[in-house]
Amino acid sequence: MEPDPRSIPSCTETIRAWTARGGGVAAVLPIHYPRALLRAFGLLPVEVWGPPQVDPAPGAAHLQPYVCSIVGNALSFLLKDGLDVADVIIVPHACDSLQGLGSLLLDFVRPRQPVFPLYLPRGRRESDRQFLADECRALYGKLAAITGRAPSEEELLESIRREEEADGLLAELHHRRRALSLTDLAFYRLVRAREYLPAEEFSALARSVLDTPPADPRTGIPVLLSGIVPEPMALLDAINEMGGTVVADDLACCGRRLYPPGVSSDPFRRMAERILDGPPDPTRGSPITERLQHLVRTARETGARGVIFYDVKFCEPELFDLPLLRRGLQEAGLPSVHVEVDLNDPLSGQTLTRIEAFLEMVAGQTEEARR
Amino acid sequence: MNPVNALRYHWNVNVLGPAVLRLQRWQAERRPARWDTRYLAPPLRIAPRTKELVARHWLAGRYANGYRKVAWVTSGAPVELLKALDFYVLYPENHAAICGTARLAVDIASEAESAGYSRDLCSYARTDIGAVLSGKTPVGRLPKPDVLFACTNICQTVLFWYRVLAEYFGAPLVLIDTPFVYTEEAAGHAVRYVRRQLEEAVPVLERIAGKRLDERKLREVGLLSKRASELWLEILQRCRHRPAPISVFDQFIQMAPIVEMRGDPETVDFYAALLKEVDERIAAGVGAVKNERKRVLWDNLPIWYRLRYLAEFLARHGVAVVASTYTNAWGELAPLIDPDDLWESMARTYIYPILNRGTGHKLRTMRQMVEEYGLDGAILHSDRSCKPYSIGQMDQRDRLIRELGVPALLLEADHNDYRVFAEEQVATRLAAFVEMLG
Repeated sequence: MEPDPRSIPSCTETIRAWTARGGGVAAVLPIHYPRALLRAFGLLPVEVWGPPQVDPAPGAAHLQPYVCSIVGNALSFLLKDGLDVADVIIVPHACDSLQGLGSLLLDFVRPRQPVFPLYLPRGRRESDRQFLADECRALYGKLAAITGRAPSEEELLESIRREEEADGLLAELHHRRRALSLTDLAFYRLVRAREYLPAEEFSALARSVLDTPPADPRTGIPVLLSGIVPEPMALLDAINEMGGTVVADDLACCGRRLYPPGVSSDPFRRMAERILDGPPDPTRGSPITERLQHLVRTARETGARGVIFYDVKFCEPELFDLPLLRRGLQEAGLPSVHVEVDLNDPLSGQTLTRIEAFLEMVAGQTEEARR
Repeated sequence: MNPVNALRYHWNVNVLGPAVLRLQRWQAERRPARWDTRYLAPPLRIAPRTKELVARHWLAGRYANGYRKVAWVTSGAPVELLKALDFYVLYPENHAAICGTARLAVDIASEAESAGYSRDLCSYARTDIGAVLSGKTPVGRLPKPDVLFACTNICQTVLFWYRVLAEYFGAPLVLIDTPFVYTEEAAGHAVRYVRRQLEEAVPVLERIAGKRLDERKLREVGLLSKRASELWLEILQRCRHRPAPISVFDQFIQMAPIVEMRGDPETVDFYAALLKEVDERIAAGVGAVKNERKRVLWDNLPIWYRLRYLAEFLARHGVAVVASTYTNAWGELAPLIDPDDLWESMARTYIYPILNRGTGHKLRTMRQMVEEYGLDGAILHSDRSCKPYSIGQMDQRDRLIRELGVPALLLEADHNDYRVFAEEQVATRLAAFVEMLG
């Protein structure tokens, strides 16, 4: 089944419908944050991954050219009134550049909306869980101050359960992706709708796709896609046209956010657990070995025969891990290729040529070589 | 402990090495100045002693494995814990800076680049990883770490970098994560979090050190750390005097002990001696720049491979760089260290470095320095390798110009990688800046 793209509401349509019902909007920068907390205050989280293809000039007046285009574009988009619909801006702390952006917004740019940073601890120790729970609690206080609302503990837990259900279905979509008979582009349009759809709408959409009878698994050279964000999305069609198929990902906007359900009955603690117990991620401080094991295991489970590292230029969290990941993958019989892009560049012939050559190399690899 | 290793350590570090270094110091004290003394004051008399002190530190590192436990730490880490447990403490950032000053950084960083590390990564990290991969170093030999101790109060980069080191060495990584302070005050739960991590680090470090932490010794180290930081701050503040007795370029060289030997008694003695010499300069009316006409601020890390070039270029025009947000960072927190309430004060001290605070705080610091040091302008080094320090500089520059009326220059470079230093362009921009200063 190829779902009708029209069945997935666009971000603009979703915001329009939401605000028409009296809801507020929270513009949220990458990567990890407690969706449930925002929803409990009647705020729809709408994520800002760049966006790609914006005029970078307004941001360039504040940021040096060696800052990544996700951060530069987000600032340009804001300065071009792209976030006017938002009632609040949430800036999770993922890296030095996002940290700098949050600080710039608070100190110099000063948008009309309140800006709330959220620090993400870099470990999974008890102290990290406690801190993140406290950080969520502090954010609760700030949201209460601007909305005049004070959701009860039960309302928070209800919101968490709604998000957990949506995340469970999101994980199921990832798990069954090959049998869904979606092109890679269609699949990523679907799963990335989680970046702006209310959880309950996403869950309904996911269920409708999962309820359709399974199709024959898609063919093509199976690869795993790693990086921050698959932009421009035309990349995915291009991979399919070149004979490849993305069977799994380690993308910050997708696979690294398949959060497991929490266990705690304390809502803030549970929000923290969910974020910290997600798959390995350099911005959460995961050791490189842990990331490597995750990639190899995911490749084995999904049949991926190679890894495409598709990175945004100047992204330190990705670039530091890359050499050891590639070496480890090679030792595990998984070849990889690395390409760097700028969110404002069109999909270049050079990038496509490299990916095509990589796919040909993977296709030509014998079973023995893979072992 | 292996007695052969102990003997080797004592012979080289306490007997032979110091004798050789004393001789080198004696020779250095008699060598003529290497920079242009038509515009710059002669070198500080203490300079050969600085070199001796720093060389002795690296010498101890060379023979540490097998005798002392070794910790590799980030420059803003709470080193007092390690010192109190008798670790030999190595700062990869300082090592990278030494490579940068010796113009070896690019050669060493290339080893990392050949292994796949992008040139867009911090050049300190590339230099350090390159040294690990190749063994190349100007300090003889780097000891292997028994523990890696990373504190995120200077950047997140250090954590990515230390995770790489953890893989290469198979050494445990102890993390002190310090939530970024966006507003004037750190949240209470953030300070509690840092304190808890410090307390949690103790049993891990004790296990590696093979000994228990002695609270009395920790207090002593805390006192020494505080005293050295206070002296350092006093030295910097003497530059409020006209002419400034030392320049920021002197400070960059003299800051090595406060970074890598904080908590040692020798460091306190060293800065007491430096303060004395600085005061003598003031009494004698000696300025770092002979014809000090204008006084400016330096923001961000040094450009290690062009210190002399920059010092001489500016001095030729009577421009003295007398204050720096960077060197100030190792002194400004001294008042926060309270040996009588060490755990709480360590948590506060290590959450508040300038690099862990917002862009607005840095602007306020710069404004304050402009007023207190009577500055006429500011040079903001836009350091490609240091995003947390550099992001915000464009607005900071604009506001310094607009609100304080001081010329401010954004100078594009990199602290260690000379391949991105466009000398002609820098000279043109500096000349225009000097002209604006009047």
